[in-house]
Amino acid sequence: MNKEELFKQAAQSVVDANRDAAVKLAEKAIAEGVDPMDMINGGFSAGMSTCGEMFDRGEMFLPELIVASDAMVAAINVLEQALPVDQVKEKIGIAIIGSIEGDVHDIGKGIVATMLRVYGFEVHDLGRDVPIKTFVEKVREINANIVGSSALMTTTQVGQKALEDALKAAGLRDKVKTMVGGAVVTQRWANKIGSDLYAENANDAVKKLKELLI
Amino acid sequence: MKKYLTRMGDGSRVEMTKEELLRDFELGSKDAAGRGKIPELTSEDYDKLLEIFTSPFRIVAVEPGNEIVMTDDAGQMRLNTDQMNSGISIMIDPTVSNMVHERCFCCDTVTLGHVDYSFKPIKPIVSTYQVMYETMSQNLIAPVFFGAMPNLGTYYYPDGPCGNPSDLFQAGKLDEARKAQEDAMEFAIKDGTFIAEKLDEIGCDGFNLDTVGAAGDADVLASLRTVEYIKKNTKLSVEVGMAGEFILGMHGGLEYKGTRLAGLYPHQQVKLFEEAGCDIFGPVVNTNSGKSMPWNIARAVTFIKACSEAANIPIHPNVGMGVGGVPVCEVPPIDCVTRASKAIAEIAKADGL
Repeated sequence: MNKEELFKQAAQSVVDANRDAAVKLAEKAIAEGVDPMDMINGGFSAGMSTCGEMFDRGEMFLPELIVASDAMVAAINVLEQALPVDQVKEKIGIAIIGSIEGDVHDIGKGIVATMLRVYGFEVHDLGRDVPIKTFVEKVREINANIVGSSALMTTTQVGQKALEDALKAAGLRDKVKTMVGGAVVTQRWANKIGSDLYAENANDAVKKLKELLI
Repeated sequence: MKKYLTRMGDGSRVEMTKEELLRDFELGSKDAAGRGKIPELTSEDYDKLLEIFTSPFRIVAVEPGNEIVMTDDAGQMRLNTDQMNSGISIMIDPTVSNMVHERCFCCDTVTLGHVDYSFKPIKPIVSTYQVMYETMSQNLIAPVFFGAMPNLGTYYYPDGPCGNPSDLFQAGKLDEARKAQEDAMEFAIKDGTFIAEKLDEIGCDGFNLDTVGAAGDADVLASLRTVEYIKKNTKLSVEVGMAGEFILGMHGGLEYKGTRLAGLYPHQQVKLFEEAGCDIFGPVVNTNSGKSMPWNIARAVTFIKACSEAANIPIHPNVGMGVGGVPVCEVPPIDCVTRASKAIAEIAKADGL
């Protein structure tokens, strides 16, 4: 099997959420001398990107995405054993995420948290109605580099500005990337309050964070 | 080259040439067609959109004879609640607010509803609304719909007795997350049908199940089964308004009469609600705040035109902040609201808004 065909099948194994096939393809890649990092990027990660696009279009759903991610992680675990130590991928980032103080809506935020986890971020979901000081304390406690906040209502989105200010006051703002989202949040709002990133939906959040951090 | 004032999806002002308008119409329509696997708009539709967008007037309106029904969606509360509920704090009681909607705002239906709007908190206080309806019915000609949403979120921890699927998914507990949604669905059906029966007892005109699907496919299945029950056991008319353009697969495995719910778009959703006995269907198309209004309105019209063609019942699309081609901003600009409304009425052939 040539390299391109191997990549194609690896990607498909993730889309099909076929863990056994993914692991076998990873082992085959090692046996045939394919660079494990090429196999991860060109095969399994490409499959996960396809899953993200399908999720965005309503063609794949959260439970399926999680199972697809399990298949990818199992394959990567095999490939990582063949990687030189300095090439083993560290997690992309440590993210704190929560619905801003006063906002009890958490379904969208939960989807973003799950998607980030699926795509290799370490995620600490603080839940909903999260006081600003809790975000700040958690950043300090776990040395997070991403702070995501969600607001469904215009009346609670002002908390996202308060969070920006609180991070500045605590001397932490330069150490983190902030991300805002939620039904009423726009790029215009993100610009206005000085947030690093606005995400329209969960897939957008993953894409933009990866662009920002990798 | 002459430029026309329009907006971005966040409400900010932008000027575009005819060519730029046309390009965005086509891109918006193509996006909807690709996602929903439905036809793109026709060249006649694009000409009509161009005519709407190049009108020099701030407000546009339908041609005489093309007027459509105005179904109210919790409008009564927009007057007598404050900004925390997108209201304007005019302290009048719900009956007077509805009389204003009927006699000043030309609404063809009005709403009675609890300010929380979810099934769960309404159940123990439904008798309050029975009394309110009685007063309203003596003062109004327009049909009164009781508005409420299934809102499965209220049955999940920490608000309710079921596990929280968001937490369970993140813990990798897929089966438990699905079970929690199935359990919450049963609670919502029990509460929704109880409320409907109580409203039917006092002769209420209809039930508006609103923001359906906000918690995903289980929320939709709970609504379909609630509609079935209401139509079978009461005299209430039923209107269903959706929460988003496609059904989120939070569960992923739920079906209604053999059709998988996750991923269905408006033209497919309407068929299931028709089958359940729904009288009016309110499709939703979400606004993308990063795209232009020509893009968003063409996209909304494409989805709603397909829904209108598929439907055998009247459709009343949601047109308001963040939906139906209207920008995501607290006070949606009237130029956008009227352009979206006209396009949806005249091109998408909606029966009402």
